[in-house]
Amino acid sequence: MSYSNVRLVPPFQRSPSRVAIRAVSSYEADVEAVVMETLQELRPPVCGKSVLIKPNFVEPDIGGVINTHPIVIRAAREAFLRLGAKSVIIAEGPGHERDTEGILEVLQLKDYIGPLDRSFTDLNTDEVSQVPTRTKASKLKSLFLSKTVLGADFVVSMPKMKTHHWVGVTLALKNMFGIVPGNCYGWPKNVLHWAGLSESILDINSTVRPDFAIVDGIVGMEGNGPIQGTPKASCVIVAGDDPVAVDATCARIMGLVPERIDYLKRAALLLGHMEENKIEQLGETIGSVCRPFEILPEFQSLRA
Amino acid sequence: MSKNPPLKSMSCNLAGRGFGMLPVKDLECPSENNQQTLPLIHGFFVDLLRGEQNTDGGWGYRSGTQSAVEPTAWAALALQPLEPPDSKILSSASEWLLRAQTSEGAWPTGSGSEPGCWVTALACLALLNQHGRDEEAVARGARWLCSTWPAEGNLMWRLRKHLHRKPENVVRQDDSLRGWNWTPGTASWVEPTAYSLLLLQNIPDHIRPSQAGERIRLAERMLYDRSCPGGGWNTGNPLVYGVPGVPRTGPTAWALLALRNHRDHPASAEGIEWLARALKGIRSPGALALAHLCLEVYGHNPAPVDVDFCNFYKKNQFLQSVPVVAWASLALNGVPFWLKPSPAARSPK
Repeated sequence: MSYSNVRLVPPFQRSPSRVAIRAVSSYEADVEAVVMETLQELRPPVCGKSVLIKPNFVEPDIGGVINTHPIVIRAAREAFLRLGAKSVIIAEGPGHERDTEGILEVLQLKDYIGPLDRSFTDLNTDEVSQVPTRTKASKLKSLFLSKTVLGADFVVSMPKMKTHHWVGVTLALKNMFGIVPGNCYGWPKNVLHWAGLSESILDINSTVRPDFAIVDGIVGMEGNGPIQGTPKASCVIVAGDDPVAVDATCARIMGLVPERIDYLKRAALLLGHMEENKIEQLGETIGSVCRPFEILPEFQSLRA
Repeated sequence: MSKNPPLKSMSCNLAGRGFGMLPVKDLECPSENNQQTLPLIHGFFVDLLRGEQNTDGGWGYRSGTQSAVEPTAWAALALQPLEPPDSKILSSASEWLLRAQTSEGAWPTGSGSEPGCWVTALACLALLNQHGRDEEAVARGARWLCSTWPAEGNLMWRLRKHLHRKPENVVRQDDSLRGWNWTPGTASWVEPTAYSLLLLQNIPDHIRPSQAGERIRLAERMLYDRSCPGGGWNTGNPLVYGVPGVPRTGPTAWALLALRNHRDHPASAEGIEWLARALKGIRSPGALALAHLCLEVYGHNPAPVDVDFCNFYKKNQFLQSVPVVAWASLALNGVPFWLKPSPAARSPK
């Protein structure tokens, strides 16, 4: 279980992580085949487990740049089921918009995953349990977390590859903000901002560490992300069983130095690997897919 | 008084039970709005709300979930104009809300324990028109709201801003204009400010906190300060790094409803124009309900939406959201008392 099994392990005690980078030219390509092939290679242990996919849905976006693309979500769902998952549910608590159904309708999610009442849970209005945070980096000390998330056997963070105007980038770790419900913390989840963004990212992920991450970098966002930036086609899907290693790899693909991203540096102390020599790279090389992202002047120091 | 014909019991073609997750395949939506369909469809949502009340008197956010303040308040507000004075549904809802009030006078968020401004405002609004015995609870809730300030503009905020100075255009807002936050210790946002305004505009004089007038004036100005360039509101960030925020239907409708006494203000006029334009593109029942209600309050006579609600319901069952069913019911029932022009209207400066 993602909650009770979280172990905080320093890098020197952690075995190397594996991260796959797959080139995908566009959403019209055979995304399902690419994701299936990737998961077959990485073999996430989902057989007989309830899988919860946590995409990044922020607000309605006709341009398709803000939210994780439903094609990638469908591909992951199908792949997990084929690998023997007992069930797969999509769950998200959008941060900027109370009208979750409006977001899903613009995404046309139902067309990809079937009836929403059976396959989607709005984490913003889910029942909650109060749990102590495993790390105490922020002022929070405990979190009210969705019972659906706490009850899942296997949590998959599925963000979009984007820049972020407060913390530099938003990837698998930052995406976990969505498991904190709006019905406790409001819209946006301003409590987390006041408690410290980097610190809150660490506390949330130390409490519910994603078991797996799949990043939609086919078209991401650069500049003033995560909602007001411009589209950036990196033409990749990045996946792995270590969210820190996946985020560090994505940062390198974006032309940034992961060691300079505050929350990633903190997460690398206890939650996964950031160093390149501790990450076994599968598929494409970082150099072959690296397309530096435009970033705001405040974050120029993150550039490689 | 409701503007609509009396509600009818569900006919067989609208008899698909909703949230109990029984199939809704029998729910047949009429092809167009007319005087016959409206009471049937409205009746469907009202029956749905009544049927979703938990045995403890409250409502959960979704079918079969534990009672929470926000859905209970919305369900009670939606049912108030339709239930008889001795309604057990409403009295048990009031009792649940009274039990949920914290010792400090607030109501808890979905956490069940931590206080929230938006839920406190909504609970008070739901209790306002119930029974005289609830007045003390409303008065305590309103006093708590009036004594709860958002964090921007306080000493820590000013110190932090001074230490971490960012370019002037990162977030364009006047921090001296303070409304209400979702939860204590955070910043003002549009929706909790709008809900709190709706309460304070409606509260009877004899239980109105002495600070109410000043808080209303400040919060109305804060809402205008947070309107998006070009009209409308989002959660409360109109301009970040010089990029105009995209207005959203829900926050726009709530801001306009809270500012309904100042409809000649240029930002109100821009907002209502934006909302009228956005109406056609609305893709969800919650947004449709709020936009319809708001346009009606502003005298725009929006086209009937009963069939649209029916179609939305058939599609996703409103994601089983009790607040959305309540909003749909409110939109179909005409303007409620708490959205009528407020007698205490003053012009924000």
